[in-house]
Amino acid sequence: MLEGFNFRIIWEYMPLYMQCFAATLWLSGLSLFGAVVVGIIACAMRLSQSRILRSIAGVYIETIRSTPLLAQLYFFYFGLPSMGIMLPEWLTGVIALTLNSGAYYAEIIRAGIQAIDFGQIEAGIASGLSYIQRMRFIILPQALGNTIRPMLGQAIILVKDSSLLSLISIMELTRAGQVLTSERFTPAEGFLTTAAFYLIIYYMLKAFSGWSEKRLIFREAH
Amino acid sequence: MKKVKVFTILVSLALILGFLGIASAGTLDEILKRGEIRIACQTQGAPFSFVDKNGARTGSSVELTEMIAKEMGVKVKYLNYDWDGLIPALLSKKADMLAADMTPTLKRAMKISFTDPYMYTGSVVFVKQDSPIKTLEDVKKAGTKLAVLLGSTGENDAKRVFPEAKLKTYKGGGPLLINAVLAGHTDAGVNDGSAATSQIASFPPNSVRILEGQLSKSPLAFAVRYDSPDLQSWLNLFFLHISLDGRLEQNLNYWVNSLDWKKDH
Amino acid sequence: MWGFYFNELIRSLPFFLKGLYMTVAVAGLSLVFGTIIGFFGGIMRASRNKPARMIVGAWVDLIRGTPFLVQIFVIFFILPGIGIELEAFPAAVIALTNLTASFITEIVASGILAVPKGQREAATASGLSNYLQLRFIVLPQAIRSILPPLVGQYVLLVKDSSVVSAIGVVDITRVGWLTVQRIPEGLMVFGLVGLLYFAICYPLINLSGFLERRMTVASTKL
Repeated sequence: MLEGFNFRIIWEYMPLYMQCFAATLWLSGLSLFGAVVVGIIACAMRLSQSRILRSIAGVYIETIRSTPLLAQLYFFYFGLPSMGIMLPEWLTGVIALTLNSGAYYAEIIRAGIQAIDFGQIEAGIASGLSYIQRMRFIILPQALGNTIRPMLGQAIILVKDSSLLSLISIMELTRAGQVLTSERFTPAEGFLTTAAFYLIIYYMLKAFSGWSEKRLIFREAH
Repeated sequence: MKKVKVFTILVSLALILGFLGIASAGTLDEILKRGEIRIACQTQGAPFSFVDKNGARTGSSVELTEMIAKEMGVKVKYLNYDWDGLIPALLSKKADMLAADMTPTLKRAMKISFTDPYMYTGSVVFVKQDSPIKTLEDVKKAGTKLAVLLGSTGENDAKRVFPEAKLKTYKGGGPLLINAVLAGHTDAGVNDGSAATSQIASFPPNSVRILEGQLSKSPLAFAVRYDSPDLQSWLNLFFLHISLDGRLEQNLNYWVNSLDWKKDH
Repeated sequence: MWGFYFNELIRSLPFFLKGLYMTVAVAGLSLVFGTIIGFFGGIMRASRNKPARMIVGAWVDLIRGTPFLVQIFVIFFILPGIGIELEAFPAAVIALTNLTASFITEIVASGILAVPKGQREAATASGLSNYLQLRFIVLPQAIRSILPPLVGQYVLLVKDSSVVSAIGVVDITRVGWLTVQRIPEGLMVFGLVGLLYFAICYPLINLSGFLERRMTVASTKL
C-alpha cells in the first residue's frame, strides 16, 4: 500500500489539512480549558464536607469514566434536541469533550492534592502564612508538580478523542485524512499525514509541560 | 538534551514511513488455490448490506457475492469494515474485491479498478414530514442545511445541485442522516434513492418524506485492484450472465426496487 | 417513538452479548500482554542505560502521540506489505497490547523514579545486584504508586478497544453500529452500548479506588 506513496496529493490537500489542524487545535484547546475548570470544580465538590456535593461529583465522575465518549457524544447530539435544546455542532462537541475530560481532571487533581503531606500545611499555618500564601507556596506548587504529567497525558487523550467529533459532522484532523482517502483512495497518504499532525500537537504539549514543570515547580530533588 | 529530542523525532518518523511493499499476480488462481474469495464490504444499511433481525448478514450485494462464490466454486469470506477500512483492505490484499454500493468516480478509478456497472441509482432529498420544504427548488435556497454521507455520491450531487446550501458531512451509514434530519440538525438529507427508501421504512411511518425527483443518475459497481485484470474480466462476464438469465433483475427487484425483503428480514 | 424500537432492541440482545464477549476477549488478552510488556518497558525507561531509555522513549512518544486508529491500520493494512500477514483478531490484540504497553511503561517508569534515590544507593552500598535491587527494594515500593493508575489504565483500555471495530472485529461498538442501521434510534442503541461498557468498567474503577485507599493507608503506616 506504500508503493508509490504520493507526496503531491498530500500537498494538494494541505490547505484542507491546515484548516482542520486549526479546528482540532481550537476545539481541543477550548475543551481542555473547560475540562480543567470542570475538573477543579468537581474535585472541590468531591473533597467538600457536604455529602450531597460529594455524591453528585462522584456520580458524575464515575459515570463519565465508565462509559465511552461515543455514547456520551450521542447523548448530547441526539438526546438534547428531543428535550428541545438545539446547540450548534461545535458547541455540542466542546461540551461533550469538556465533560468527558473534566471527570478525568477531577481525579488527577484530587490525587495531586491528596499526595501533599498534611504536616506541611500545618507547618505553614504555624509559621503564620496566610491562606493565599499557603496555597501559592505550599499546596499549589506541589499539587501541580504531582499532576503535570498526568495532566499532559489527559490533554493528549483529549486531543486524540476530538477525532470523534467528525461523527457529528465537525471538520477536524481525522476527517481531513478521511476526505483525502475517500476522494482519492489513498489511505496510506491520508492516515499517515493525519498521524504526523497529531504527533506535532503531541510534541507541542510535551514541550509545554516540560517547560511548566521546570518553571512552576520547585521539585524535591529525589 | 536537544540532540536527544531530534533523535527521538527522527526515530518516530522513520518508524512511520519505514515500510515498503511487494507485488504478486494471478488473483483468480489465488482464490482457487485458497478455495475462498475474500470480499470487503461495509455494512452500511439496507438494502445493499446489513445485518437482519436474526443477526445474519444479508442484502443485495451480499446475495450477489454469494452467487459469485457459487459460480467460482469457492467459499466466501466477508471482511467487514467501515468506509475507512474498505480501500486499505483492498489495496493491502486483505480482500480480493470490494462489494459496496460504491460509485466508480473517475478520481477513484485512478487508484482501483471498477467492474462494469450492474445498476444505476440516483440521489434523492428527504425531509421531515412537516417540513416547509416541498420541492427540490426549495432546497436551493441559500443556507439550507443538508446532511450527507462522507465520500458518497449524495455528497457530490448535493455540492453540484445545491451550491448555496450548507453541507454537514456524517459517517456511519444512511440511517444516521435520517436521524440528523429528525433531530433537527439539518433541514434535509441527501442520499442514494434506493438506500433512502428502504432505510426510511424502518423509521416510524410518516416521519420522513422523499421529495419528487432525482439529483443524478449514477452507476454502482464492484471493485478490484488494478493487478487483478483476471478477476475483473471474470466479474464483468458474471454480470453479463446474470443480467441475461434474469438473476440480476430478480435480485434488484426483491431488494432495491421494492420493499419485499422487509417481510423476510 | 422509543416503544417502536424497544422490542426490536430486546431481540438483538444475544447479538450484543456476542459483542460483549469479543470486547472482553480483546481487552482481556491485551491487558495481560500489555501489563507484562509495559513493566519491562518501564524498567528499561527508568534504567541507567541511555540507549535503552531513548529507544523506549521514542516508542512511547510515537504510540502516545498518534491516533490509535492509525496504529491499528498500520498493523493491519501496512504490515502485510512487508510480509506480516495477520487476521483481524490477532491484529487487534497486538495493536491494543502495543498501545496499553506504552501507557503502562510510563506509569511503571514514574513509579520507579518516585522511589527515593537513597534507597537504591543504600542497596548498592550493601552489594545488591541490579536485579536484586529491583526485585526486593524498588518494585515493592514502586508498586504502591503504580497500581491505582494501572487499573485506571485498564478502564481506558476497555474503552479504547472500541476502535478495533474499524478492522472488522465485531465488538460491542461494532454491534452498536450494525444495529443502528436497522433500529435507527442512535441514542437508545448507543445507550445500551454505553451500559455494557459501564458493566465492565465500573467494577474496575471501584477496584482502582479501593487499591488507591489501600495503598495510601499502607504508606501512612510505613
